[in-house]
This record gives sequence, structure tokens and C-alpha cells, in this order.
Amino acid sequence: MWSYWSRRALGAVAVLLLVIAANFFLFRVMPGDAVSTIVDPRFSPEAKERLRELFGLDLPLYRQFLIYVRRMLTFDLGISFLSQRPVWEELKSRIPNTVALLGSALFLSSALGIWLGVKAARRRGGLTEKLVLVSGSVSFSFPSFFVQLVLLLFFAYTFPVFPLRGSVSIPLPEGAFARALDYLWHLLLPVGSLVLLGFGSWAIYVRNLMVKTLGEDFILLARARGLPEGRILWNHAFRSALPPVLTIFLLALPGIVSGAVITETVFSLHGVGKYLLDSIMGHDYPAAGAAFYILGLLTIVSNLAADAAYALADPRIRVGRRAQR
Amino acid sequence: MKVPRWSFITFFLILAIAVIGPMSLSKGPQETVAKPFAPPVWSGGDAPPPFSGNLSPNSKEMNIEWDWDAPENLTLRGQLTFDHDVVARLVWTTPEGSKYTLSSFHGSGVWSIDLDARDMTFKTVLGIPPFASATSLLFPSRGLHALSLEGPSPSEGSMELVLPGGRWGLLGTDQRGRDVLSLFIVGIRVSLLVGISATFIASLLGLSIGLASGYLGGVADSLIMRIVDVLLSIPILPILMVLVGIWGKGLWQLVLILGLFSWMGTARTVRSLALSLRESCYVENLRSIGAGSWYILYRHLLPEAMPIVLAAVSLGVPGAILAEAGLSFLGLSDPRIISWGRMLHEAHGFGAFTAGAWWLIIPPGLGISIICLVFLDMGRSIEEMADPRLRGGGQG
Repeated sequence: MWSYWSRRALGAVAVLLLVIAANFFLFRVMPGDAVSTIVDPRFSPEAKERLRELFGLDLPLYRQFLIYVRRMLTFDLGISFLSQRPVWEELKSRIPNTVALLGSALFLSSALGIWLGVKAARRRGGLTEKLVLVSGSVSFSFPSFFVQLVLLLFFAYTFPVFPLRGSVSIPLPEGAFARALDYLWHLLLPVGSLVLLGFGSWAIYVRNLMVKTLGEDFILLARARGLPEGRILWNHAFRSALPPVLTIFLLALPGIVSGAVITETVFSLHGVGKYLLDSIMGHDYPAAGAAFYILGLLTIVSNLAADAAYALADPRIRVGRRAQR
Repeated sequence: MKVPRWSFITFFLILAIAVIGPMSLSKGPQETVAKPFAPPVWSGGDAPPPFSGNLSPNSKEMNIEWDWDAPENLTLRGQLTFDHDVVARLVWTTPEGSKYTLSSFHGSGVWSIDLDARDMTFKTVLGIPPFASATSLLFPSRGLHALSLEGPSPSEGSMELVLPGGRWGLLGTDQRGRDVLSLFIVGIRVSLLVGISATFIASLLGLSIGLASGYLGGVADSLIMRIVDVLLSIPILPILMVLVGIWGKGLWQLVLILGLFSWMGTARTVRSLALSLRESCYVENLRSIGAGSWYILYRHLLPEAMPIVLAAVSLGVPGAILAEAGLSFLGLSDPRIISWGRMLHEAHGFGAFTAGAWWLIIPPGLGISIICLVFLDMGRSIEEMADPRLRGGGQG
């Protein structure tokens, strides 16, 4: 068990370091001197030298990197070129929105996908199975933003039941309950579109796994014992198919975070992904780097959460033998 | 003879359109052809369709059946040649029977005309104040209008009357009044070019890294596989966004960046193949008769891996096309290059929603989806050719 956790933690740290290093070096290879972006070119060379010292740019690269890592880990993310405010201040209000979007979309699409996948596996050749196969190939090849744009056109323009843009109404409605309702109303279409796009691949994968599992001997034994069908399906078959499902969850995570960036842009949500795009468009490098870092961090944290779930689901890890994945 | 799979036929069709299509366009795709957000001809509702007609020596009269409100503009352009001295006039007749002389000509030689209903001189000729609309004078009601040339027949030349409509072409116009059909056809090239070349780079990288990793084994292998694991667990799109933001939005930068970040899947598959082949008897035999690593890799492992790589190319193209379209949709592409993602970006950013312009969204989106489906199916059938076990049964 400990070897599993130490490996996972090591992996997470490696990814974290890679993200930070990528940030550090990427924004240093960009054209131009770091100082030249914030000072007037008419400054005297001495003043420029003084500024370089002030910002620590005269230190050797590895020292700069260490300082950078420390600042990243303490969320001291620098000051935005555009708004001249600390980036963390701007990001703080956006993180909950992104987490809400990602979390609810992930939960709903996996729940729907798993349910449909298990149903499809039980009734081969039925209507559910056809639906699952079609929705799977749709989610593979339809660009997410296209589907979202069509949904937006349909539900916000043709039949204006949902808002065209934004995370909340302006002005904000009075009262906490009304505000929560307003927030949900704005979130419904983005989450709905992500679920619509996402559940297909889950369903196909779960169906394939379940078809394989349902053909095995222990299911036959369970049937011979006269167990109820629901119990065989969920407690026996699905239970043993759970670890690979969690593996797929892990593999799908980065794609889902990428999808959130696009979703936030389509629906103009007040989230980290939209902030990343706006900062890149405005050449606001500290802000872009920080947004990228936060997205990476979100991925790493959810990765670890999925690892924990995997450890719970797979008895080989829970009981303490070496993981075989 | 066996009929080839639908996806191969569709692929060659798309390829043909991508090569021939842009050449067959009469106007450049960037040209303004009608008013912004004009709906397609076959849909548009109340807006009038565009109209154009010619006056020539053989047809000196033209009837215009106009069932809509007055058009926004009217233009008349062309040249007529007269051999001897004449007095000729262009006369407009409204449904009520009132006649207006649009222009007249005395003498012989070439009569060239360039009339625009918004011109001040034209309004003076008609005798209306400079801020009044000439077209509402010429189109007072719905019905049969006529334009005729009064006087002797010209010897040659022609004159074209154009009424810009509120509708345009098969797919309407965008926010700059460009023809969406032309944009759509030109956009195929970018999708195919970026998709195929980025995947080609990625597959070459994946093939060489996978072969090296699987064949060498040991520390190199575990190092490479750790790198693959790490790269697979970071969201790629934000990295691509940052890279494009730093390196620039050109087409080739995009291809390179996409190629550098999508080799991991191929590398994994090739590695597992190389790993199993390394232990196989025939490779051991080769080694025992003194074959070098390069020889084994190049002459034996590479051909074995080829079908897998070919399938990986075809299966990888949708990913690259979607990534390109996604980046362009986010606005991170060269604004001068027309691509389907760019079209969607402009539709989203320039008010297609307030205009209800679905014709700006459906064609490029469906185009991307269809190309992706085609490549997915081609990839699957190549996989089946390479691995007959997959044939027939489908999934499960």
C-alpha cells in the first residue's frame, strides 16, 4: 500500500515540477528582455541594472528557478501586466467556477455513462446499446465547441430559455437563494453540453468492460446461486470492472480540463480557462502562466483523488500487495 | 470487385474538393459579395434574393419581377458601342407605368455606364433630393418592373443590372459580407494540411521513440515511459495555447507544436510491439547470426510496426484537426488564414448569435465532424487490415 502511495505522490510531484518548469522556461524564451516589458526604454542603464537586481534577474538561473518554485507553491503568482493587480486576487474568484463546472460535468457524465453502459451490456442489441454506440462515436468526432455553439444558438437565441453568456446575471438578483438559482441557471447549459459530449465515451467503455465481465465464470456461478439480477450486475460484475473504469477516468482528466477552457470561452464563463485565453490574447504573461499553473494543479489534485478512489476500489492495493496496473 | 469502404470514397471526394474547389471560385473568398449576415437563398424569408440581368444588342428589354420591399441598392455597369450617330436612353418602368430616364447618350462610339443608385449625380438626374433613396423611387410597389434601351440597336457590348439581395448563395454571408460557401471550401485545405502534417510529424516521433524505447529497454525505456506518463497527465490544450501565444500564430508553428505534443499514443503502441518482438525467436536468431541493432530495427522491426503506425496516423488526424479547430476557435490562429475553426471563432466573436446566423456555425462544424468521422473509419479499417482478429465482430 505504501509503495503504491509513494509512487503516486512521486508522480504528482513530477508533474507539478514539470508544469512549474514549463512555466518558468516558456515565459523566459519569449522575445524581449523581462525588464523591457515593464520599464520605459528611456531609463538609464544604471536604473535598468538596479531594476534587474530588484527583480532578482541578476541571480544565476537555478537560483531564479528555486525562487520561482517557492513563489508558485505559496501562490505568490506575480502582478498582471494588464490590470496591475496581483494575479492571485483575480484568479481566486474564478477557481470555484471552474471547479463547479468541471466537477458537476464529470460527475453527471460519468454517472449517466456508467448507468447506460451497464444497461447496454445487459441487453445486447437493444435500443440502449445502439444509443450508446452512436453517442460514443459522436463524442469522439464532434468538436465540443461546435455542439456547444449549436446548443447556445438553439437554447439562447431561438428559444431564449438560457442566458447567452456569463456566470451570473448583471445586476445580481437579491437574496442568497435567488443568487444560487441564478448561478445554476447560468451553469446548466455549459454542464449539460459537457455531459452530452462526455457520457458517450464512458458508456462505450463501461459497456465493453461489462460485456467481457458478464461472460466470466463467477457471473455464471452467481446466476447458479440464484442471486437477483440487479445484485449480479452491480455488486458482482460492475464491482470487478470498477478499477479499469477509474483508470479511464484518470486518462480522460487532462482532456476534460482542456474541454473546460473551450467551454468557458463559448459561454463566456468567469473561470480560469477564460482567464488563460484572455491573458494570452493580451500578452499578459504572468497571468497566463499563473492560469496555466492553476489548471495543472487542478488536474494533479483530481488525479490524486482518482488514485485514492482506485486504491479503495482495488482490493489488491487496499489489502497491501503490490499494485499491478 | 469489392467496393471500398465509404470513408475512403468520402476522403478522396474531400481531397478533390480541397484541390479543385478553391480554383473554381470566380471571386476570392475574402471579397465582400453581399450585405453582412445575409441568409442563404433557399432559406431567407422576407429578404429579397440577389438579382442580376443583362441588356445586350439582342435583348434590349429586361423584366424584373420584384415581390419584396425596395432593394438597398441598384447598380448598372457596362459598355455599348454604336456605329453611327444615335440618341439612346435607358428607361425604367414601374408597375404603375411611370417612366424614369436613368441615363441618355448622344453621338456615336462607346457608351460606357457606371451607375450606382447611391450616387449624387444619379439622384440629380432623377430629380430627387440628395438624401432621398433612389431605389424607393424606382421600386414604389411590388410587381413587374422593366428596364429598356430606347433608340437604335447597338452593334455590340452589354450592360449588367445588379440588385444586391438580402439573401446570398447556398450558405449566405458572414459578418463582413463574404460568401460562406467559398470560405467553407477554402477552409478544407487548412484542416487537411494541418491535420495530416501534424500527425505525420507526431507519428514519426512516436515511431522512433517507441522503437528506441521498446528495443533498448532498461533505463532508457523506463525514462521515456515516465515522460510519456507525465505528458499524458497534463492538459495539452493550455500548453498549446501558451506555446502559440509565445511562438506566434502561423500555420507551420501550429503544425510543429501539434506534432510535438501528440506523439505519446503512437510511442506507447509501438513500444509494446517492439518489446514483444525483441524477445521473439526470430529476432534472437538474427542477433545470433550477428545482425546489428540498426539492421534489426530498420529491416525487421520497422516493417512490422508500419501498419500500426499507418492506423495511428489515420486515427490521430481527427485529434490534430480538432486541436487546430479548437485553437482557431479560441482565436489563436492567423487571422489571414481561413479555416473552419476561424470561421466558428468569427461567428462566436462577431455577433452571429444576435443575428441568429446559424449558417455561420453549422457548415464549418459539420465539416470538421465529417472529416473526423472519415479519418476514424479509415483508421479502423486500416487496423482491421493489419490485424485480422478485429475484422467482422465489431466491438465487444
